[in-house]
Amino acid sequence: MQAPRVDLPVDDATLVRAIGNAAPGVDSNAESELYRRLAPRVRLYGLRHLRDPQAAADLMQQVLLMTIEKLRTSKLREPDKLASFVLGMCRMVVLDLRRGAARRDKLLRTYGRFEDSIEPDEPKGLEGEKLSRCIGRLSERERSVLVLSFFADRSAEEVGRELGLTSENTRVIRHRALQRLRECMSGTRDAP
Amino acid sequence: MIQSCAEPIPFGTLVEYWFGELTEDAEQRVEAHFFGCRHCSEQLEGLASLGRGVRSAFARGAISAVISAPFLEQMKEHGMRVRDYPVSPGGRVHCTISAADDAVIGRLKASLSGATRIDLVRMNEQGELLFRLQDIPFDPVAGEVLLCPSAAALRRMPAHTNILQLLAVEPEGERSIAEYVFIHAPS
Repeated sequence: MQAPRVDLPVDDATLVRAIGNAAPGVDSNAESELYRRLAPRVRLYGLRHLRDPQAAADLMQQVLLMTIEKLRTSKLREPDKLASFVLGMCRMVVLDLRRGAARRDKLLRTYGRFEDSIEPDEPKGLEGEKLSRCIGRLSERERSVLVLSFFADRSAEEVGRELGLTSENTRVIRHRALQRLRECMSGTRDAP
Repeated sequence: MIQSCAEPIPFGTLVEYWFGELTEDAEQRVEAHFFGCRHCSEQLEGLASLGRGVRSAFARGAISAVISAPFLEQMKEHGMRVRDYPVSPGGRVHCTISAADDAVIGRLKASLSGATRIDLVRMNEQGELLFRLQDIPFDPVAGEVLLCPSAAALRRMPAHTNILQLLAVEPEGERSIAEYVFIHAPS
């Protein structure tokens, strides 16, 4: 059976309806677009809450599978609330993951993995050498605060405690350092 | 599909979100927003990329940093192979870096109490200034400054001797806290 295809770009609600209307066929165009649109956000949520790239990738896979399952059966009552629905799913799955649930394996057995061709790209790495030069131009305090903050994703309070700084001062230094790095990388300031 | 954002999340708030510093309510508001907002999710992705870049640059020895003792333990827990050189005031140490080392630490023991600003000066054997790190971070009660030089730069260096000096910078002038001699030999 030839699956219908949605013409892109569309809003979330149209995408949701296209996936539901295609059943029992599959609108792979709409599903791929849904994945491209939401997978990076789910991955960021996973990185923030699980602090592990592999766990974030697993979360992404599981949440998107569950979402597709729901959409193919037209069980999302408010199609324009897709983002809220997916966020809710993320929260639930992270809780599940923390409890050691194995729902992902069951879903994978039922629906299989998404094709590699629609895996979202790992966000492109920054130009390593340029970034190193930009980091090198930061003050000592700025560089230390950034390294201690990002190496293991630690809060200003933790970092400040180790460097003899207040958490408020650490936040100020961190913010200034990030602004300078962004400006340096974008070439608007002190670009190497 | 949202291409731009009428009320973007301030970058500072995204940073606080990333490091888990927001209240639960504020955190949920940020998540509800960026899940439906392409612009803000891209801003957050940019922050995450910068974080990955900083982590990667440090882990591969492309940058130097003054670090803390607890952070040194974290580096080891993350599997980094670290060569640690503790040195007392006035002390001399023979040092190197091997292909197997990810990082080298100069652990400069010193009494830091009472200091409000410390600079770290590096000189050659003749006492000529090579560089000065101004206003380095330090914990006054730690009793040491941990310098993690760029491993990549260290590997390129020939045999040499450097003098490191910690200076307390005070309103009435500078005073030397301690000096250390590092005698480096390539491995």
